Amino acid sequence: MSSDFEAYEQDFGTLTAEITNKIGRIPKLGGEEKTQLVLNVDKQLEEVRELMEQMDLEVRELPIQSRGMYQSRLKSYKGEMDKLEKDFKRSRIAYSDEVRNELLGEDAGSSESQLIKLREERAHLLDNTEKLERSSRRLDAGYQIAVETEQVGQEILANLHTDREKIQRSRDRLRETDANLGKSSRILTGMLRRIIQNRVLVFVLGAIILITIILAIYFNRQKAFFWSTLRQCNEELD
Amino acid sequence: IGSSRKYEEACDIYVRAANMFKMAKNWSAAGNAFSQAAHLHLQMDNKLDGAINFLDAGNAFKKADPQEAVNCLNQAIEIYTDMGRFTIAAKHHISIAEIYESELLDVDKAICHYEQAADYYKGEESKSAANKCLLKVATYTAQLEQYQKAIDIYEQIGTYAMDSVLLKYGAKDHFFKAALCHFCVDMLNARLSVQRYEDMFPAFSDARECKLVKKLLDAYEEQDVDAFTDAVKDFDSISRLDQWNTTMLLRIKKQIQDDESDLR
Repeated sequence: MSSDFEAYEQDFGTLTAEITNKIGRIPKLGGEEKTQLVLNVDKQLEEVRELMEQMDLEVRELPIQSRGMYQSRLKSYKGEMDKLEKDFKRSRIAYSDEVRNELLGEDAGSSESQLIKLREERAHLLDNTEKLERSSRRLDAGYQIAVETEQVGQEILANLHTDREKIQRSRDRLRETDANLGKSSRILTGMLRRIIQNRVLVFVLGAIILITIILAIYFNRQKAFFWSTLRQCNEELD
Repeated sequence: IGSSRKYEEACDIYVRAANMFKMAKNWSAAGNAFSQAAHLHLQMDNKLDGAINFLDAGNAFKKADPQEAVNCLNQAIEIYTDMGRFTIAAKHHISIAEIYESELLDVDKAICHYEQAADYYKGEESKSAANKCLLKVATYTAQLEQYQKAIDIYEQIGTYAMDSVLLKYGAKDHFFKAALCHFCVDMLNARLSVQRYEDMFPAFSDARECKLVKKLLDAYEEQDVDAFTDAVKDFDSISRLDQWNTTMLLRIKKQIQDDESDLR
C-alpha cells in the first residue's frame, strides 16, 4: 500500500515539476505554441488531480495509526496543486516584458528611452510656452503703438480743426478786403473824373477871362478912337 | 504839419535804434525804444502803428523783464479792442497768459487772461481756438481745486467735440478728465456723470479710459488702495498717464488712504 502511495508521490513530484516548468514558459511564448502548451498543462493538471484522488483512496484504506502522516503529506500536495493551478491561471493572462517590447519597440532599456522621450516632450512644451509669451509680448507692443497712433491722430485732427477755422476766417476777410478794394477803386475813379472836370472848368473859365480881357482892351481902343474923332469934330465946329 | 513830420522821423529813428538793440541782444533797451516809438505814434493818433510797436516792445521784454512785457502787451490789447480787432487781442491775451504761466508763475492771472481770450474768440466765432483756451483754464482750475468750474468746461468741450467729425476721437479724453474731476469732489457724482456720458456718447463706454474709471470707482467703494493702484498701473503700462492725470489720480488715492486711516 505504502509503496503504491510512494509511487504516486513520485509521479506527483515529476508531474508538478513539469507543470511548473511549462507554466514558467507559457508567458514567454505566444500564439500556436502557447495554446499547445496550455493544453498540455491542462492535461497534466488533470493527471495530477487523478493522482490526488487515488492517493486519497489509498490513504483511506490505510490503518488509522499511519494515516496521520500520509494525510498531512496529502494536504501539502493538495496545497501545491492549488498553487499550481493558480499559477497556471495567472500565467495565461499575464504577459512578460519581452512580448511587450516586441510590440512597442526593439530597445532593450525601455525605461531609459521613456526618460529621453519625456525630456524631449518637456523641451518641446517649453519652446511652445516661450513662443506664446513672445507673441503675446509682441501683441502688447503692437497695441501700445496703436494707442499712441490714435493719440497722435487725435492731436493732428484737433490742429486741423483750428487751421480750418483760421483758413475760413482768412477767406472771409479776404472777401471783405476785396469788396473794400472794389469800393475804393470806384471812389478813386470818381475822384479822377471830378478832377478832370475841375481842370476842364478851370481852363474854360481861364479862356473866358482871357477873351473878356482882350475884348475889354479892344473896346477900350475903339472907345479911345471914337472919343478922339468926336473931339476933332468939336474943334472944327468951333 | 512840420511837427507831425518831426514826430514821424522821431518814431522811425526810435524803431531803427530798437532793431539795433535787438541785434545786440540788449532786450530791455530794445523794448524801451519800441515803447517810446509807440507812445509817439499814439500822440500822432496813429493807433495801429502804436499797437504794432507795443507788440514789438512786448516781445523784446519777454526775454528780459516779463512784467514790462505784460504791461506793453496790455496797452496793445487796449488799442486793438478799441479798434474792434478782437481776434488779435485774444491772441495777445494768450501770450500774456503764457508769460504768467512760465515766467511769473501767477496761475490766477493766467487763468483770467485765458478766460478773456476764450470769450473774445467765442465772440469771433472761432470755437476751436476758444476751446483750446478753455482747456487750459480747466487744467489750471482743476489743479487749484475749483472742480466745479473745470467740470463745466470739460463737459461743454466734450459735448461740442462729440458732434464734430474731426474732434470726436478726442471727446473721450475730455469726458475722462471731467469724470476725474467729479471723482475728486464726490464718488456718487462721478458714477452718475459716467452714466450720463455713456448715454450721450456710446463710444465712450468702449474706451479704455471709461473702463479705468469704472474700476477706480469700484476700488474706491471698497476702499481698496491696492486694487486702485493695480488698475492705474495697468492703464499706465499701455499708454502713459500725463502730468495732470497723475496729479488728479494721486489726489483721489490720497482720499482713499485718508478714509482708510479715518476708519481705523
